[in-house]
Amino acid sequence: MADTATAGARGAKLRLRIMIATGMVMFVFITMHLTNLALGLRSVQTMEDWRWALSGVWSSFLPLKVLLQISLVLHFLVALVSLYWRNTLRLPAYDTAQLVAGVLIIPLLGMHVFGVMAVKELGLEPTYALVLGQFWVVSPLDGLQQVVMLVVAWIHGAIGVYTWLQAREGAVRARRFFYPFVVALPILAMLGYVEAGRQIIPVEEGGEAFVLANDPNAAGPTVDPAMIPEIIAQAKERPVTATRISLGLVALVLLARWIRLNRTVRSPVRVTYRGRRPATFEAETGLTLLEMARTNDLPHASMCRGRGRCGTCRVRVVSGGETLPPAGEPEARVLASWQAGPNERLACQLRPMAGDLVVERVVEADYSNLEDVRALRDGGTPAGAT
Amino acid sequence: MRTILHVVMTVLALGVFAGTAQAQFVPGASAPEEQVIPEPSPNDVREFLRLLGDPGIQDWIRTSVDDSGQTDNGPALSLREQLEVQLARIAERAQSLSLAWDIIPQMPALMADVWASELSHAQKVRSVTYILTFLLIGLGLEWLYRQFMRYPLLRMEQAPKDAPLEKLTGATVRAAIIFAGLVVFAIGSIGAFDAFDWHPLVEALVLDFLVMVLLFRVVTTVSLFFQAPFAPELRLVPYNTPIARYLHTKVRLLTLAVVLATAMSYMLNRIAGMREMDLGDNLAAVALAQTVFLAFVVVLVTWACIWLAFRRVPELCSEKPDPRRLTFWRNYLIVLTGLVFLLWLIGLFGLMSAVLVVGMVVPGLTLMTAWIDHFFDQSTAAQHEQQMARALIAREENAAPGDSDVESADEDTEPETPQFADPYAATRPIVQRAARFIFLMSAVVLLSTAWGVNIFDLSADRSVLGRILEVLIDSIVALLLADLIWTWARTVIDKRVADYEPPVDGQAPGPEARMITLLPLLRTILMVALLIMVSLSVLSAAGVNIAPILAGAGIVGIAIGFGTQSLVRDIVAGIFFLIDDAFRLGEYIEVGDLMGTVESISVRSMRIRHHRGKVHTVPYGELKSLTNHSRDWVIMKLEFRVPFDTDLQLVKKLVKKVGAELAANEHYGPSILSTLKSQGVRRMEEFNMVVGVKFMTKPGEQWLVRRDAYQKIRDVFEANGIRMAERNVKVEIEGGEALTEEQRNAVAGAAQEAAQGPGRPPKPIPDEP
Repeated sequence: MADTATAGARGAKLRLRIMIATGMVMFVFITMHLTNLALGLRSVQTMEDWRWALSGVWSSFLPLKVLLQISLVLHFLVALVSLYWRNTLRLPAYDTAQLVAGVLIIPLLGMHVFGVMAVKELGLEPTYALVLGQFWVVSPLDGLQQVVMLVVAWIHGAIGVYTWLQAREGAVRARRFFYPFVVALPILAMLGYVEAGRQIIPVEEGGEAFVLANDPNAAGPTVDPAMIPEIIAQAKERPVTATRISLGLVALVLLARWIRLNRTVRSPVRVTYRGRRPATFEAETGLTLLEMARTNDLPHASMCRGRGRCGTCRVRVVSGGETLPPAGEPEARVLASWQAGPNERLACQLRPMAGDLVVERVVEADYSNLEDVRALRDGGTPAGAT
Repeated sequence: MRTILHVVMTVLALGVFAGTAQAQFVPGASAPEEQVIPEPSPNDVREFLRLLGDPGIQDWIRTSVDDSGQTDNGPALSLREQLEVQLARIAERAQSLSLAWDIIPQMPALMADVWASELSHAQKVRSVTYILTFLLIGLGLEWLYRQFMRYPLLRMEQAPKDAPLEKLTGATVRAAIIFAGLVVFAIGSIGAFDAFDWHPLVEALVLDFLVMVLLFRVVTTVSLFFQAPFAPELRLVPYNTPIARYLHTKVRLLTLAVVLATAMSYMLNRIAGMREMDLGDNLAAVALAQTVFLAFVVVLVTWACIWLAFRRVPELCSEKPDPRRLTFWRNYLIVLTGLVFLLWLIGLFGLMSAVLVVGMVVPGLTLMTAWIDHFFDQSTAAQHEQQMARALIAREENAAPGDSDVESADEDTEPETPQFADPYAATRPIVQRAARFIFLMSAVVLLSTAWGVNIFDLSADRSVLGRILEVLIDSIVALLLADLIWTWARTVIDKRVADYEPPVDGQAPGPEARMITLLPLLRTILMVALLIMVSLSVLSAAGVNIAPILAGAGIVGIAIGFGTQSLVRDIVAGIFFLIDDAFRLGEYIEVGDLMGTVESISVRSMRIRHHRGKVHTVPYGELKSLTNHSRDWVIMKLEFRVPFDTDLQLVKKLVKKVGAELAANEHYGPSILSTLKSQGVRRMEEFNMVVGVKFMTKPGEQWLVRRDAYQKIRDVFEANGIRMAERNVKVEIEGGEALTEEQRNAVAGAAQEAAQGPGRPPKPIPDEP
């Protein structure tokens, strides 16, 4: 059992890197796509004029297309693996939101993606006039689904980037830029979507019935008319399949995780936190110390929320440290970067063994002494000291 | 907790109802047309003045004013007529309800129909998109704000707090931070929404929804403020985290149900209001049916919440509450909810609100009292703990210097644990009364709002109900205010009286004694004054003209004043004597030729007990000057007569020794302020020297010291061969050697007589206790 656990831990770092890399690719894509939508605030024509650069490049330029597709699949699969290794689903609010949003993305997204693909198969160009017409006039409920999808996907991605930035110490300026951006972009995109819809909707329904200046689809579908119903049927069939597959995979992983957790042998642990408000709780082995603290409603500092990167969750082991497994490679590196003492460990990586454990927080749960800790590491005196 | 929320929700709901009602009845404000009014010409002014002077015009103006004045009053309805109107309304309501009942099965289809015909697909999608967009704007801005406030908030939530006052401050600051976030959310969502022009129906729908979201969040924040399910350090209510979380969830569920139901019912009612012309009664019935259905769902949810909460919370409690009381309150709340629903159903809205408010008053008051009590208990406990901790630290510091005597130090300090006095004994009842006052007043205001009576404008309302309400409210306010003042004064006075420790026998009373004599008097005066004021204001509110009473009281007051001039003088003089601190209870004083201990002080006179048992009663007005023998210190001087050949140095030494002995006495030693010392020879007399000694003691102790001083000095003089001078006559007779024994005796007798002078009776011994 311990082998698999350490294997899981060893794989964790690789998984994290893949997640960040693929996630960043998709975040860039969605940012560009939303920027394109936001142009709708000016007019549908502007959207269409910029479409090739902001959205089209991801489907027409092959390396980018491949990169995006690989990123999507890899991100999803690695996320499944991570889900499998999760010890508890009692997560912090941000993680819960990210998890739920992540599960929802594919069912929501499928229709749009396969719809655009079908448009191409029909020999048409997926212009904004066409797609917006579909979403606002032909099937408004699908349009609604896209809005929900936009919000969900953006939340998922923004939380990911937010966490990544939080854990990086030098990213103060990046954060200052990122926070307003993360709020402004989806809002602008949605307003652009609404405004574009207002322009697209026919006059009799209160719109302006916008027509593109030089519509590439003016000639209608170029494909064999006999094929059209089949293509449309496919476009309707594929999203359902994708949804089924993704949800099925998630369910399978959850089941596997459940089996894994059930087969784990658990023994009682008694953890005592010293400090301003001492606390003692009983827990079972298998969880990390941070997860145990969370399950028992004990506040704990943790900037990266348990990804083993920020080092703010570290604790000083006062007693009971003899039986603990030694720090793994990533943990040791984070500890070294903080110039941590020999008995300091990361709560998010530490899996307490059966018995008693007494620890004390290095960084208070409200981060009130974070600056002092930083100053100590940098060799100076604490900020408040004279 | 639940009750407070209920009340809050009721207030909010009422506010919203009032707001929307107003909004519905206020016609759309049309943009005022800018018109330039030209200045009147001199001709016009002249014409206007002429018209004003015309008697016909004047008559017309007068009659028209009279007419409008009459129509304002309106016909007064008799009780029977009012009842009839009510019954008719109930009947009408029942009719529309039965219509609604018929419609319920077709409701989904009808609603879908209305829904489809009213809004196009695109409009629907757009509405939802707008809602999402504006929610996102609001939430996004709030998120930015919260990002900015993240660390202060975290610190506020997690810093350890012991004293409830700290908790209250923390919780308030936290609530303020969260509410500021809500304001940001509201500005972001509703403000951004309001910046655009919309289709009226879409505008109404989106705005309703946004307001409901805001309302839900406000209620959640209030629950968060009290229960703090995720920040135990800030919790203001006396229960643990699981209960707080459970109840918080329930509150949110309940609020969600209410808010959703309200939003949905508004939605259809708005559509109905817009389409009234086209569909007639049918749509109104559908709207009513839907509202009834939603209200029923809300009632069901409320019942479920009450039932579940009363079942689950005792399980989570560490100590089990009384099951009978639990059952009672559960059933009470369930019945109350049902009753309110029923009254609403038959259309008696005023009565419904009244039942709701009155039904909530008792549990609300109980909960509030318990909460305030808990708050003060916690404060007291925290202070006690702090004091104990301080005492412990002090003890350790004391023990620290010498390790060897740690044990003995412990033994010494153990018994003298500092006595702890409740610091809030006076504040607690005042806060209780004030809170009760505010609670009851809010209930009254709510009630009057529900009945459509503006209590701030009652004097304009001439109906019987208005009059009764006015009298009631005025009386209640007067009573509650008087009660508040009385409670405050009584607790303060009682506490001071209770804290007073009467002086130990033989000791001079402290300065507090004076207040103890004054306070009960003050209390009585205050009570009488309050009673008179309250009864007068109640009478005045009830319409009784109190001017004659006041005037009568004034006349009687003057008459009594003249008649009891000396009595008044006594009382006033007494108050000034007390303020001057001329005497206190238990002091030995001298007034003219009367002396004794002050035994009692009354309004008019004081009673002095002579040390031989006589009791003098002295009215204060009679006191011209007063001598107090019991203040600070007393000097006593004693004299001895010694012969001229006495060694004065030896006398001084011996007196000093005696002084040391006296000061070392275990009984009166501590009372000696400056012990016995010799003052040397005070004067020379014919046959002897007078040696003076003096000492200073606390008042009342001098007699005992004097007794011992005399005794010891005599003994020590005798032991050292100093005798006291005695009067002696030396008779020299020339050639007296030849006298016989008999002649000598005769001469001595004659000389003695000459020396003593003619026999006088001894002077009376001065009075001394």
